[in-house]
Amino acid sequence: MDTTYADSFIVEGKLSLPYQYFAGRTGSKFIISLRDSKKILGVRCNTCNKVFVPPRSTCERCFADLTQSWVELKDTGVVTGFTVIRYEEPHQPVKPPYILGMILLDGADTPFPHIVKGVPISQMKTGLRVKAVFAKKTTSTIRDIDHFLVDESQKIEIGYTYDELEIGMAATFTKTITETDVYLFAGISGDFNPMHLNEEFAKKTPFGTRIAHGALPQCLIAPVLGMKMPGLGTVALEITTRFRAPTYFGDTITARAEVVEKIEAKRWVRMALTWTNQHGKLVAEGAALVIPPTPLS
Amino acid sequence: MRKNRNVGIVGVGQSVFSSHREEVNQPEMIHEAVVEALQMAGITMADVDCVVHGNMELFEMVHQPDLWHTIGTGAWGKETLRITTGGTTGATLVAAADHLVASGLHDIVLAIGFEKLQEGHTTGGITNMADPLWGRQLQTGALTGMTAAAIIDEFGAERARKAAMTYRILMDKHAMKNEKAHRRLGLEFDQADELAVNSPALVGELRMIHMCSQSDGACAMIFASEETAKQLCPQPAWIRDHITVHREEMFCIFGNAPVLSTHRYAAQKLFARNGITDPLSQIDVFEMYDPSSWWGIDWLREFLMLEGDAHIRMVENHDIAIEGKFPVNPSGGVIASNPIGATAMVRVAEAALQIMGKAGQHQVPKPVNQAMASGFGGTMWTVLFLLTRDIPAMG
Repeated sequence: MDTTYADSFIVEGKLSLPYQYFAGRTGSKFIISLRDSKKILGVRCNTCNKVFVPPRSTCERCFADLTQSWVELKDTGVVTGFTVIRYEEPHQPVKPPYILGMILLDGADTPFPHIVKGVPISQMKTGLRVKAVFAKKTTSTIRDIDHFLVDESQKIEIGYTYDELEIGMAATFTKTITETDVYLFAGISGDFNPMHLNEEFAKKTPFGTRIAHGALPQCLIAPVLGMKMPGLGTVALEITTRFRAPTYFGDTITARAEVVEKIEAKRWVRMALTWTNQHGKLVAEGAALVIPPTPLS
Repeated sequence: MRKNRNVGIVGVGQSVFSSHREEVNQPEMIHEAVVEALQMAGITMADVDCVVHGNMELFEMVHQPDLWHTIGTGAWGKETLRITTGGTTGATLVAAADHLVASGLHDIVLAIGFEKLQEGHTTGGITNMADPLWGRQLQTGALTGMTAAAIIDEFGAERARKAAMTYRILMDKHAMKNEKAHRRLGLEFDQADELAVNSPALVGELRMIHMCSQSDGACAMIFASEETAKQLCPQPAWIRDHITVHREEMFCIFGNAPVLSTHRYAAQKLFARNGITDPLSQIDVFEMYDPSSWWGIDWLREFLMLEGDAHIRMVENHDIAIEGKFPVNPSGGVIASNPIGATAMVRVAEAALQIMGKAGQHQVPKPVNQAMASGFGGTMWTVLFLLTRDIPAMG
């Protein structure tokens, strides 16, 4: 079949179709309660022993009239399901990406959809406990609950996963190396070499004064890799360093790590490392091979 | 039409029809009709095997409303079917429910037609249905002055205008007897001349007063197999036969050549296969889908296969009044209430109520052994039903 479309017209069209929604008496009472007293109301069917939220005027199972059996619910609940909205349309309530979860309030039997915030998309999962955050400005809609916020106590932070990391992403950590640091490091490592601790001895070395242990500025890369890039949950497999210049007492060292290679077969990442001092002089350079954090189950 | 078994209408429910039903949402409004139909049938939702649901695509801007409406329809856990065929939707729902029961698939079927026109954008929905290249500029929905022009052309302006207003006022007098009707204006015949001039013009000779309403409302009907219907109801309204006729083009591309209307074609076929040679005497009441009083007049001629000015005389002589020789739309018709997805179903439902003797204030004051009901939709569709008091013979 010939499916070429040369000489075929495309007729462009655009429809703007306004509409409204009658919430009804029962739905309106729900909205008014949200708006005026920040209370979430549902209805209970005593025959079916179910609490419906948002409320409905009749029970869909037994047709009982529920308009007089209001119950007030807590503003906390659990996410029973969710999806991530990534496409963008003018009608959406917030700018994508955002999480739309099914929220089952404590004491309710029916979940309803709402926006979930306070958790990275990569860490969203069902079962998270949430709490309603009411909107500062009322709109007389379900958005008088602005969103549901994930309970902080359940939050487990992790760094960038393999899939989230991209070539060129980088992070730094900066610290001034003091005499105290050097003496503590000598104690930690057992390296009491007089070039780090004895000024008179050090004057006779090519450096002319005491210098820090090489491993002292080098270890400043640990907070970068382990806490920033990729971050919490990272496993370091290999770190190589070539020292280029000494670190004097009082120098301010910036350790930097940059993603340079994603090794798909292993899902490992190679990082380029640099250490520079306050004058911009390269103190050391090197490379690291790391396993980025994996999403927690 | 050959049937596997007979089907009886055993329950009819209607919500109150109004331009605004702000106190209820869609499932709540439908619930009113469903509960009433169940009550009339003396059954509960547990007895219903299948729910058939329909409205107009796009009119409320809700995709697959039947899913949401489960809250009010009682369809939870049941077989369901959603149907939309435009203005005929309501009548097509009845046809589908009839088939579902007649076939033996189900013993009891609930059909629901609804519309909340105030929530949506009707003309937007209608305008979107035609071919965007060739047909869309022609689409005005049911607003057309062509029939008025044709009637005036044939019978003269004075007689035609008077007949249209007589038809309109008769329909309003019927609506005044129907508490659920949307527009109950309390019109009197001495207002006819003033209304014909002062009512806002819509298209040509079609004025606001001639035109049907835009309503919120729902209708529910319960259909049962012959055996079940006899147990449930002392007098079901039996579905004798029905026919659906379509044609798509609105205008003849070869000019205004005479074409057989779908209404007349449907009537010819339906009458022929049911032995109806004199519809005026063999049919006791007619619930006609009449979008405007101009179409109301014209379509009497088509459905009843009348010639000359017989249809005009029927109106002039008030034959179509509730107490007349051939009552038409004792409910007030579409001109009074028009929740589109329910409208055509209400025609069949009202015809059924007349057979069952349950039309209340607007029950026609004579025995109703056979009733006819029509549905109309765009672009030119007809659904025509025959209901009887006696159990139809199995052909």
